[in-house]
Amino acid sequence: MPTAAQRKANARTAWGLVALAATFLAGFVGKILWLNA
Amino acid sequence: MSAVLDHSAHAAGAAHGAHDHHHHGPTGWRRWVYATNHKDIGTLYLLFSFTMLMVGGVLALLIRAELFQPGLQLVNPELFNQLTTMHGLIMVFGAIMPAFVGFANWMVPLQIGASDMAFARMNNFSFWLMIPAALLLVGSFFMPGGAPAAGWTLYAPLTLQMGPSMDAGIFAMHILGASSIMGSINIIVTILNMRAPGMTLMKMPMFCWTWLITAYLLIAVMPVLAGAITMTLTDRHFGTSFFNPAGGGDPVMYQHIFWFFGHPEVYIMILPAFGIISQIVPAFSRKKLFGYASMVYATSSIAILSFIVWAHHMFTTGMPVTGQLFFMYATMLISVPTAVKIFNWVATMWRGSMTFETPMLFSVGFIFVFTIGGFTGLILAMAPIDIQLQDTYYVVAHFHYVLVAGSLFALFAGVYFWLPKWTGVMYSELRGKIHFWTSLVFFNITFFPMHFLGLAGMPRRYADYPMQFADFNAVASIGALGFGLAQVYFFVAVVWPCMRGQGAKAPAKPWDGAEGLEWELPSPAPLHTFETPPKLDATATRIIG
Repeated sequence: MPTAAQRKANARTAWGLVALAATFLAGFVGKILWLNA
Repeated sequence: MSAVLDHSAHAAGAAHGAHDHHHHGPTGWRRWVYATNHKDIGTLYLLFSFTMLMVGGVLALLIRAELFQPGLQLVNPELFNQLTTMHGLIMVFGAIMPAFVGFANWMVPLQIGASDMAFARMNNFSFWLMIPAALLLVGSFFMPGGAPAAGWTLYAPLTLQMGPSMDAGIFAMHILGASSIMGSINIIVTILNMRAPGMTLMKMPMFCWTWLITAYLLIAVMPVLAGAITMTLTDRHFGTSFFNPAGGGDPVMYQHIFWFFGHPEVYIMILPAFGIISQIVPAFSRKKLFGYASMVYATSSIAILSFIVWAHHMFTTGMPVTGQLFFMYATMLISVPTAVKIFNWVATMWRGSMTFETPMLFSVGFIFVFTIGGFTGLILAMAPIDIQLQDTYYVVAHFHYVLVAGSLFALFAGVYFWLPKWTGVMYSELRGKIHFWTSLVFFNITFFPMHFLGLAGMPRRYADYPMQFADFNAVASIGALGFGLAQVYFFVAVVWPCMRGQGAKAPAKPWDGAEGLEWELPSPAPLHTFETPPKLDATATRIIG
């Protein structure tokens, strides 16, 4: 079973990935919409 | 217990922190609904994806039945378009993708020496989200106006003119996207944070590497698909005109956004297949994988290049010649890392002590037939040729060669390779070989003639065709029926007996050339494994304490 420290590290990595996905989405769709405006 | 349905006791591998006695988890249906164990969730994913393969297969057979002869026999053109659309959506999002996630759930923790996936409850949620999505997709056939019929690419402005089932389809895609993103986060965090000490990234089995890269691709592109279909939804109901030319919108913009998702999606469906093949070929050649590091770099290169080739799906939309040239050359560039992989598999086999059990047969079949699909992809990458072949059966033949003979054959190879580990039972080699040869022969009978149909100009997504195309279509339809029956045989004669524990007992390592931590565990793999991190040898393939 993961230790408490490992769980904390897992959560940190997961939130980092969520931020990565959100940035990518905002960047790409934002750029397309801006190009199309 | 693992994938075996009956609850008889199995040998425990106490030496590796592996056991399935003293297990106080839920039993019966609660075991599956509340499942947090990666092996149970892997089994659920695999069974779900096979069910969807059958549903999508029935739709395919209806399509082929209609196309058996020219003229309209069984279905009207509207229903035909619904069948092609739903066949594509169900196979891509319901069958191929979840099957690879099932493999990842089963094998990633076992291969890296982790006790489970990083987020066990989120894993459960990822799986169970797929059921309502599948019901929405399949149920859309019974909504007013029938199922979505705009093609699996859901191009605007056709999607803006569809009935209410389009909303159900969009909602289903949203749910499946959320499930995929959660699954990907789980896989990345598991691989990055939960490897056993000594399992460095460059010692990881190739299957884990390919899934790590695939999960990054999913995280990058699934939100883009979600954005595109959300814009479609607001165009339909909330007065926006992103893609509606009547309001000043641009349907071609939808294609750009969709294919920015869609092309990496193609690699999402093939990179884990490469990983499976990279495990099996060395095992049955009794050699180490040739060029491990180059395999990792080739996989990464394919993933990066997949982001800059999307408009090769759009050569006929009227882009500037410089744009055509860029996307043409970028696409052709992908053949370099792909060829590296194929070369490495062949070099692994070179002078190997090869045997041809069913996993190896499917792997060699994969290399041979996938390469044909790769070459037709290279042909289609050339803008002047693609403009001629756009939306013809040549394209249909090409992507079925990479998705059926590619992804699906690799999945079958993986099932035969790891089924003894999952169930503790050896499958029948004769039945496996029957499944392989019937699949290979009927696959080619179905899809090879489609190259000729496409070159002769037969367009895809039509319920009818001129007499000149009759012969090849009849052949393709017969092949499709045979291919479908071969897959029913696979479940009835191979999978089901193993799941019921019928057959010779599998040893811990049924393949003498196989390497990796999963083969250090007893068969079937106990419900709980690696509860304490294992001590690994220098190659990270053996447990030494």
